[in-house]
Amino acid sequence: MSKTEKFREKINAIIRAEESWEAVGQTPLPQVTDLRNWDFRLMRTYRPFYAPFCDLCCLCGLGKCDLTRDRKGACGIDIATQQARMILISCLMGAAAHGAHGRHLIEHLIEKHGEGHPLDLGDQVNVEAPIIRTVLGLKPKTLGDLRRAVEYVERELIHLVAATHTGQEGSNLDYESKAFHAGMLDHVALEACDIAQITGFNYPTSVAETPLVELGWGTIDRTKPVILLVGHNAAAANSMTDYLRRKNLLDKVELAGICCTALDTTRYNEGAKVVGPLAQQRFFLKTGIADVIVTDEQCVLADIPALAKETGAALIAWSDKICYGLDNVTEKETGEIVKMITGEKKQVLVLDPDKAAQTAVETALALAPTRNKVILTPEQAVEIAGRCRRKCEKCNQSCANLLPVATAVSQAGEGKLEPLADLFRKCTGCGKCEAACDFNLPILKLMAAAAGAEKYRMRVGRGPIHDVEIRKVGSPIVLGTIPGVVLFAGCSNYPDVGDVAWMAEELARRKYIVCLSGCAAMAAGMYKDADGRTIYEKHPPSFDAGGVLNVGSCVSNSHVVGAAIKIANIFAALPGRANFELIADYILNRVGACAVVWGPYSQKALAIGTGAIRWGIPLLLGPHGAKYRRLFLSKKEYDDWTVIDGRTEQLVDTREPTPEHMAIVVETRERALPTMIKLCMRRNDTAPGRAIKLHQYVSVYKEHLGTLPDDLQNFVRTERDVPLVYKKEVLAYLKAAGWQPKPTLSLPTIIGTYETKVPVSATLR
Amino acid sequence: MPEREFLFVPYYTVNTLTGTKAARVVSDPVEAAEIIDRARNPLYILGPEAITAVVGEKLLLEYVFEIVKTNNILTCATAHVKKKMLAFGKRPDCVYDIIEIIHFLKMPDWQGVRGRGPHDLVLFTGVRCDLAERGLATLKHFAPHLKTFAVCRRGHPNADYTAPVIPRMEKWREYLEGIIKGLY
Repeated sequence: MSKTEKFREKINAIIRAEESWEAVGQTPLPQVTDLRNWDFRLMRTYRPFYAPFCDLCCLCGLGKCDLTRDRKGACGIDIATQQARMILISCLMGAAAHGAHGRHLIEHLIEKHGEGHPLDLGDQVNVEAPIIRTVLGLKPKTLGDLRRAVEYVERELIHLVAATHTGQEGSNLDYESKAFHAGMLDHVALEACDIAQITGFNYPTSVAETPLVELGWGTIDRTKPVILLVGHNAAAANSMTDYLRRKNLLDKVELAGICCTALDTTRYNEGAKVVGPLAQQRFFLKTGIADVIVTDEQCVLADIPALAKETGAALIAWSDKICYGLDNVTEKETGEIVKMITGEKKQVLVLDPDKAAQTAVETALALAPTRNKVILTPEQAVEIAGRCRRKCEKCNQSCANLLPVATAVSQAGEGKLEPLADLFRKCTGCGKCEAACDFNLPILKLMAAAAGAEKYRMRVGRGPIHDVEIRKVGSPIVLGTIPGVVLFAGCSNYPDVGDVAWMAEELARRKYIVCLSGCAAMAAGMYKDADGRTIYEKHPPSFDAGGVLNVGSCVSNSHVVGAAIKIANIFAALPGRANFELIADYILNRVGACAVVWGPYSQKALAIGTGAIRWGIPLLLGPHGAKYRRLFLSKKEYDDWTVIDGRTEQLVDTREPTPEHMAIVVETRERALPTMIKLCMRRNDTAPGRAIKLHQYVSVYKEHLGTLPDDLQNFVRTERDVPLVYKKEVLAYLKAAGWQPKPTLSLPTIIGTYETKVPVSATLR
Repeated sequence: MPEREFLFVPYYTVNTLTGTKAARVVSDPVEAAEIIDRARNPLYILGPEAITAVVGEKLLLEYVFEIVKTNNILTCATAHVKKKMLAFGKRPDCVYDIIEIIHFLKMPDWQGVRGRGPHDLVLFTGVRCDLAERGLATLKHFAPHLKTFAVCRRGHPNADYTAPVIPRMEKWREYLEGIIKGLY
């Protein structure tokens, strides 16, 4: 047996190739270079765009190396390749964070339920793991199978990390291909992680209308003991719910969370409260409302021990990712640990989520009656703000979100609190302004006092999109009559927290399907209309035109990518098993979807976004996204938009830039809206479908930019595409622009336009 | 000849340069006008702060109108600036979002806005400072065929030329009026 055959045999064993649910495709368990040709084909149209963060490379002992003016580093690397290398490193951080999270939860749940525990996503979900099926070729049936998926991710990651070492890769395009691989692995990890917790914790699945839960500081009852959960791994939080339930204390202790742990806790316990997104972490910690702070992993502030001491709150860290230099007391009895915390005021590391949970509850019960939770009143804020001299502007200069802090604080000192309250909605909570202030003003507390404690409601994360929903909307999405699916994902580094709710509302009322996850799902809920309703109370929670869905936490993003895969696999009946290129090609050319990360900051969000691009889903980033330093842009109408007509297998120059870009940063929400609408156009749109999309594009563009779109001629293929309402003026515009009709295709594909083992005929089903 | 000043630490510390090639500070608006005047085919990129920031009695946008009027400088409206320009009776020469126009500008063979040929000077005003800085870094590294000038009171280290950091609004107004005066 040859080496290749032996390797294939090994792969076949992992994915149980003999199972006949679908024939195994071209790329089971793809390795680093197996999808390289697909990546290079994408980058032929969508070229990497770099915005270097730094002129230097400081990664090895040969440097520092100055890479300006076409200089190369001592190792031979140039500025573009160095950017791509940093991108890969960032994507690896993100994928590793999700992968390790998944690995921990899977092992934790296997310990509880056994590795043979069956995966059950309910009667509405038969294609349980579209990403794992498509990438690995494995149909996971048990928690043990999810372990196999994560083991595959781990194996690939080690090769990718190796490639970032000095003296390895020397091409920016190959680094980008590796970053795509990291992004795709990230999606595998996300899916494995969320399926594991849905199954292991019995989270909602196969139901769209999940309960509405409370969101916002105002919902926290300070008279009760308050436990604050910070991070992304809800193992300890769910154990706390169990413990409280057993002790009949569920309504006597407030379980509140920040970031995704909050979302996943509400999937287990609908009485838990969501304080808010990541941006509110430092604000809330400074109020001292929490009696006990429990940290797990990802997006947790590095200075929480100091913040906890500042307010007299207890701190229990339980993840091996964040140990804070604390004493490891895992082996001690719970009662003893509680005494150490309450008596000796020790902050502790308890590397067992169940023990950490019990310790947190017992500590909160003991500590809460002794604490005086007084928060700053607006009157006190005015008095303190009066100490600002507004001369130095150091707060402005240090603001990571470029906000006019000095003006707002000094106006507050004069009794006008509105500007400070407005700042609160835009502040990302980094606290740099306080550190810079010569007068030691507690600027974050002032903002919080000015804003007051709001109460909102949000829907509990629903998990996977149902197969029956896919069957219903598959056709209108592919034909274009549902104008698009937009996923708002990622962090809360927003120009303004209100932007997400605004954009989501605009799209939902235009009959787009709006999916939300993580911090974006919380931010969307933090706005009420004139009738006091949040977006979740106004729109249906189904995956259908005008629906607004919270899929869940960061790891639940996998379900939206999964929905795009299911459209290809269930609606179009394309074989997905180990058929990455075929499915991604379908999504790229036929599924009108885009992802939006409006408040990007984390490496995880970069990994998610990069993975989405490899699947053929364009990515729109808010202004901070430029700091990721890489985008993928076409040259618009100046590019070659030739594809293959899957029916005739002939090359056709469509002259139609759809989707126009695969990753772009946009500065304002007014500009983001028409850009999203464009990114949901596909060559496959039927004339009525394109007319609907163009109707939305024209109406939004007119509203916010004042005229017909300046690039309208690029997206009208025939007169039948022209929306009826605007027909007269659009036709006049097209005539003046010298527009010529373009070919339309019902089966566009880029399979066959690059070297691949996938035959063009495979696209026709 | 006075010693040249370079900007490494601008108003916003998030834009502090971690590198070696910093912008030359153009403190004298008359010199700024000369740089603009010398350009054969300049392009003025307008960001959304231009339609909200008030300088003295006028919008920042109105000062830019005065600057571009002198040499018939082409304009690019980014974000949602176009609508406000139209309200003033001005039509931008092109509409792209900031990253798109930078993408085109870094191509040495791009024939420029209105096909007038490659631009040799690109001016920036009103683009969100952290985003502008990243775009300027792109052009610094990948568009050696053109020069950039950040006409922004917060200063931009990654430009070729930058206005100095001007915290006081009155001084900023004087700087802008100085450029306009220098161009006439």
